Amino acid sequence: MTTSPVTPYRRLNITLTNLLAWVVLIALALPAVWIVLTAFRPAAEINASPPVIIPRELTLDAFETMFGLNPDVRQRVPVESYLANSLFVAATSTVVSLIAGTLAGYAFARFRFRFHTAAFLAIMFSRSIPGVALSLPLFLLFVRLGLVNNVVGLAFVYVAINIPFTVWLMDGFFRQIPYDLTEAAYIDGCSYWQAFWRVNLPLAVPGLTTAGIFAFLASWNEFQIANVVTRSVSARTFPPGLFSFTEQFTFDWRGMCAMSVLMMIPAIVFVILTQRNLVRGLTFGAVKG
Amino acid sequence: MSTQTTSLPPAELSGQPVPRRGRIGPRWFPVLMIIPSFVLIVVVTGFPLLYSVYVSLTPYNLLRPDTLAIDLANPFGNYITLVNDPVFRDALLNTIIFLAVTVNLEYVLALGLSQLLARVTVGQSILRTLLMIPMMFAPILVGFQFRWFFNAQAGLVNNILLSIGLIQEPIAWLVDEPLGMISIMTATIWMNLPVTTIILLAGTLSLPHEVFEAADVDGASGWQKFVRITFPMLAPFTFIALTIRSLDVARAFDIVRIMTDGGPAHRTELIWTYVTRLAIESNQFGLGSAMALITVFISLAFTVYFFRQLVKARIVQ
Amino acid sequence: MRKLLIVFSVIMLAAFSFGGLVTAQDDAPQYAGLDADLSGVTIRMATIGGGQYEAMYDSISVFEEATGATVEIVALLDGFAIDQKLKTDFAVGAVDYDVSWNHTSFMAQYVGFVEPLNQYFTDEELAVFSPAIIEAATIDGNLQLIPRHADVAALHYRTDLYEDADIQAAYMEATGEALVVPTSLAQVDRQARFFVENGHSTFGYGMAGTEEALTGRFYELLFSSGGALFDENFEPTFNNEIGVEVATLLRNWYVDGIIAPDTTALLWDGDAQNFCNGDVAVKLEWYGWYSYFQDPESCPAVAGNFSLTRGFNGFDNAGARPTGWAGAHAFSIPVAAQNKDAAAELIRFLTSERVAYEEALLGFLPVRDDVWARLIDEASASDVPLDQVRLEVARTQISDDFRTPPLIAEWIEFSNIFYPIMQGIMLGDLEPQAGLDQAAAATRERLAAAGYYD
Repeated sequence: MTTSPVTPYRRLNITLTNLLAWVVLIALALPAVWIVLTAFRPAAEINASPPVIIPRELTLDAFETMFGLNPDVRQRVPVESYLANSLFVAATSTVVSLIAGTLAGYAFARFRFRFHTAAFLAIMFSRSIPGVALSLPLFLLFVRLGLVNNVVGLAFVYVAINIPFTVWLMDGFFRQIPYDLTEAAYIDGCSYWQAFWRVNLPLAVPGLTTAGIFAFLASWNEFQIANVVTRSVSARTFPPGLFSFTEQFTFDWRGMCAMSVLMMIPAIVFVILTQRNLVRGLTFGAVKG
Repeated sequence: MSTQTTSLPPAELSGQPVPRRGRIGPRWFPVLMIIPSFVLIVVVTGFPLLYSVYVSLTPYNLLRPDTLAIDLANPFGNYITLVNDPVFRDALLNTIIFLAVTVNLEYVLALGLSQLLARVTVGQSILRTLLMIPMMFAPILVGFQFRWFFNAQAGLVNNILLSIGLIQEPIAWLVDEPLGMISIMTATIWMNLPVTTIILLAGTLSLPHEVFEAADVDGASGWQKFVRITFPMLAPFTFIALTIRSLDVARAFDIVRIMTDGGPAHRTELIWTYVTRLAIESNQFGLGSAMALITVFISLAFTVYFFRQLVKARIVQ
Repeated sequence: MRKLLIVFSVIMLAAFSFGGLVTAQDDAPQYAGLDADLSGVTIRMATIGGGQYEAMYDSISVFEEATGATVEIVALLDGFAIDQKLKTDFAVGAVDYDVSWNHTSFMAQYVGFVEPLNQYFTDEELAVFSPAIIEAATIDGNLQLIPRHADVAALHYRTDLYEDADIQAAYMEATGEALVVPTSLAQVDRQARFFVENGHSTFGYGMAGTEEALTGRFYELLFSSGGALFDENFEPTFNNEIGVEVATLLRNWYVDGIIAPDTTALLWDGDAQNFCNGDVAVKLEWYGWYSYFQDPESCPAVAGNFSLTRGFNGFDNAGARPTGWAGAHAFSIPVAAQNKDAAAELIRFLTSERVAYEEALLGFLPVRDDVWARLIDEASASDVPLDQVRLEVARTQISDDFRTPPLIAEWIEFSNIFYPIMQGIMLGDLEPQAGLDQAAAATRERLAAAGYYD
């Protein structure tokens, strides 16, 4: 990160930093490891008391049941339908809220205009309305508009939920970009739009990445509104789908974990593909001078 | 920190595009940029909000359609009921405690973690992916998992503590005070630590190099650099993280609903577990809407407060 | 492919039933509701899903085949989720189905939103269903639902404790009475305390301690002790001396460690898990758990080591009777349904002897007398003795001890007022009398606002 000479003390420091980071993050991931292990445990270990920490054997039973490969279980879980709906809703809402939120974030960061603060707070306001308060009126509205059981309707809602965070994050990131660059662009004959598009946006990639990851995962995991607004299997996403493992008095915890493992795969792929961009700003940042 | 040139352009814009025909001027450009966000938000939240305001003035019971009408003799009946409801007051207090502890603790942990991650040289991408794993589970699933971790008889926490001899008797984590609150805070922090960490990490990585290089030349220690440069310059990100997390924690629901559902005896009752129980399970949608609106406005007050702090922080810089 | 499979299974089914006929089973269980011609009609259904509940819906293909109707299941949700869906759909007018789930504990909420079913079913048809259930489900002369299957809480006890000679002797020495399966609450109390104090069992008794589960368990101990939640004018009466007696008992059980320290955080599954793990000596539990407890894979500690029997009487007051909190899953026709007559045919089919019998084979308790007779007859041949005991006890309970929660639409609302206060009493935040008074006042206020005392 810096150009200072590498002394033995510094070397030790770097080693300790790395070690500590790995230990902390592995510890942080342990509850998740437990969830993943649960998906592969034999049924007898799931509710064992005292708990079995290291599984004695691993099995794919839960996955076979989920995919309908178990002849004893009649109903299979419509995983591919959940997957398609979740992907559509999360991808659409992420892209749309990133576009809208970035434009607005740039305006808030770079311009003075009337009602600057009021407009900003109004946008934030929508983030404070909880799903419980939104879901029923939205359901009523969607019934009238014929949007119930429609993934497009759900994607719409997620866009609105993700915009405030995106606006605020992008506002913050655009402000980190020195204004001299924009000024220079103007002098070179750029319009407002060109200064945004050619100069500022490329430097805001870490912000876009951060906002994108949040928007994607928030949509991917949202339960309350999805539960009320989508009723049929054809429009259900994963989180309400998790409840297909509940019964009147109990629930199939292993099945839920197995579905969560499945749910994680697209999310991990998305994060692995995008997280590199968190640092790209560094190299771009070095360009200015 | 003299090189720091962020924030809004000066009042008299030092640079302006050359005006040309067909080019959008400084007056309309920002408006056009904001319109898409604004329209989307109004479309989705406008109707529910107005509807909630209307419903909050009625004694609406979900199963009695005839109750969806404003009682002109007593339009603010729901609000009066709430002001006099001790459970609502407790829930409000619990929510504030939950919010203050969760958001602050999460911030401190995230700050440490982000600085650690910014300095890592081995396996950066793997660590960043690892960091985001808790966010990848649906909150309801996290709720089920932590409820089981904290189960008194079969739960992992008690069994580990018992086996290493730290406790002799199982602890009723989800029941005893203040352990119930601590349990739901633990689950919430675990799940959301990545959010705050990533904001701070991305913020740290976007700080200009020159400042640190200058500090190195001056022989500043790592701690000095953190206290004098990194932390102050992260202020905008700090406020973004704190605001967003406050708004989200104030709405915290799924994890808590599954773990304790506000119980036992309202000990972990938060506004949203209470609203849901009243509005949906008990069918008192009018009363629930009134409560929802009160808390939405409290959240708004929080937002305004943090926003002011943010503006101040920018001015200081 | 799917179609082929259905055709194949229909052929197999036909072959089996033919085979059944040949082997002199001329009284094989019969389908019903297959006579109407419903070609071109689509019947939509919103019903309970999850696990074993869904097995019944496989038989719908027989109905479709015979009547020409198409049945579409538009929602399969668990009990509380389906209730929320129905409520919101009824509230905003979004009903797009003809057959809806119903339940005796929830039905009072749906009054006015579902069709009175006496118009669609003859008295003769209704006569085969358990009269206790039909009676409970008739509100102001309107039959709200046709029952599908029932559940009731039976006393589950650990045979390895109750039949252990050493424990029996020690109990005799300690209390001067024989260790027998309890038939009164006082006995349950003495035995549970004995088991805990002498280390025979981690907990003496087991119960879920939150949400409707706690309200229901209190209600059960209250009515079995001769008390009642409400009088005939819906005035709360649970804060009388019987209510205080029950509340004090629960509090003492909690304080003395007779029930689990996290009882107030346990819902059905957590509570059942403690029994499954062998931590609980005796408890009231739903039949629905039977196959789980009896499976050595899932519950090695209690499989083969427990038995069940009729509920015990509560405290010794006038009107004391055996416990028996019960409920029945059922079907209804929403008022807003499109094809009500066709819906009635589908319900007739789903509650027919044959379908009910096949579902009962999965472990559900039937609500039809003809199915009961057949099951008990068949169980006499079973080599697991508990199977027969279980059925006989269940039949007695369903005919004699079937007690639904009070039939008010505000049952869950009442429960949401009541259970946190009851938890407060158990945890020592509130005194029993003061707490129950507070709950009664709050309940009265809500019922008054809903127009109960006008």
